[in-house]
Amino acid sequence: MHKVNLTINNKNFPINLNGNETLMEVLRNQLGLTGTKTACEESECGTCTVQINGKAVLACITMACDLEGDNILTIEGVADEDQLHPVQQAYLDYGAVQCGFCIPGMIMSTKALLEKNPAPSQEEIEYALDGNICRCAGYPKIFDAVKKAGQVMQKGWQKVNETENISREKLSSINQGLTYEEYVKISAVANPEAQK
Amino acid sequence: MLLNPVVFHSPRTIKEAVQLYGSLEDVKILAGGTFLLNSLKLLKRKGTKTTANIISLRKINELKGIRMDGNRLVIPAMTIINDLFESPFLTDNFAILHTVCRNISTNPIRNMATVGGNLTCRYTWTEMGAVMIALNAQMHFTGKDGEKAVVSSEEFFKNAAKSDKLFTHVTIERDPLARLAYRRVKKTMHVDVPLLAVCVKVYIKDGKFNNSCVSVNNGTSFAQRDNQLENFLNNSLYTTETVDLALNHLDVNIYDKRSDEYKSHMFRVSIKNALLEIIKSEQSAHA
Repeated sequence: MHKVNLTINNKNFPINLNGNETLMEVLRNQLGLTGTKTACEESECGTCTVQINGKAVLACITMACDLEGDNILTIEGVADEDQLHPVQQAYLDYGAVQCGFCIPGMIMSTKALLEKNPAPSQEEIEYALDGNICRCAGYPKIFDAVKKAGQVMQKGWQKVNETENISREKLSSINQGLTYEEYVKISAVANPEAQK
Repeated sequence: MLLNPVVFHSPRTIKEAVQLYGSLEDVKILAGGTFLLNSLKLLKRKGTKTTANIISLRKINELKGIRMDGNRLVIPAMTIINDLFESPFLTDNFAILHTVCRNISTNPIRNMATVGGNLTCRYTWTEMGAVMIALNAQMHFTGKDGEKAVVSSEEFFKNAAKSDKLFTHVTIERDPLARLAYRRVKKTMHVDVPLLAVCVKVYIKDGKFNNSCVSVNNGTSFAQRDNQLENFLNNSLYTTETVDLALNHLDVNIYDKRSDEYKSHMFRVSIKNALLEIIKSEQSAHA
């Protein structure tokens, strides 16, 4: 039995391990952090991507025993309390999420990329996300969201929207197949408080 | 559990690791884990017995940190593929490593897999074998009593590297005159299933190929050189006609012995394109 102190999402988790657990099993089965998905379990699909010391890696082929002293970040630790991370917000705004199963892994890979290179080219985006497979094939919107998130991480939302003269509400309306006016009407009925 | 019960060891020094390796029976070394852990999972699913001990090298700092030692590039065994890819030292003949790293698998794998794991993993398809032979890389080992051993990468792959010693690092001499090209073929566009790798190194003197080295891996046994093709290339004019003729001088035993028709064809295409790339870059350098 190994007593290991894991640092996950800036919190310490002292746990006992037998030595044969992967990080994915510990996250999901022992700690209840089920945002990290599990699919192929053999390093091909990317759904279990997490960040270790800032790098996007696969939890299904990482031994949990090996991670004492490392900073592990899962999808649960990406948002700042109620404030979504720009990458998460951009995925939402651009309708980049279809069934959603690959998205935690996509977001972890995107975040790792943009922290190093906030203005990646299309080729650099494809290279960084080549280990994350989307079975819905929603890549074009994912790539758009990555580019937008990069701009936001560099300049902040307001600046980006001023430059492009496009609001997040307008983007949401486009993604829902509505005109902006229709979107405003529906939003007003659905959430009158927010419109005041 | 995806893995069978195992005793996990995490030494902090090379000395500790080699002593453990020498004293334990039924043991596997864990570097990046991108191959070992998947194969252990597969064996468990098949109901096959798996190793009783794992020694992880992840916490050994002596096995990390790419550096220059005079004119030699030193790549420690636990160097992550993406760290090598981003290394500022990859100029002259070392630049070919940039191409190799770029072509390995997918990004999360490149963030985990190590140079040591790639070279010592006992499977024929690993990417670095061919290029290390072409670079005339020297592989360094340490034994349990601290004894050191150095073998050329060609010798290492020829003898399939059964050793009780721990691979610690690889060294490569800088060589600004060498011209190199690398080709790797995979089976599918998205999920990366490696098929073959080819590395060609030549020198060009008086308009002719010289001291050429053509190394191939996967679909063959371990990475090896095609001496027959090298003999043809040496002293031949560096022209596209020579490249066309070269394909008639391949050692078919290397390419066809364990390869299907497609793989044999891709070997030929890869060697041709690698040679053409060298000719093209040489011509544009002199234009």
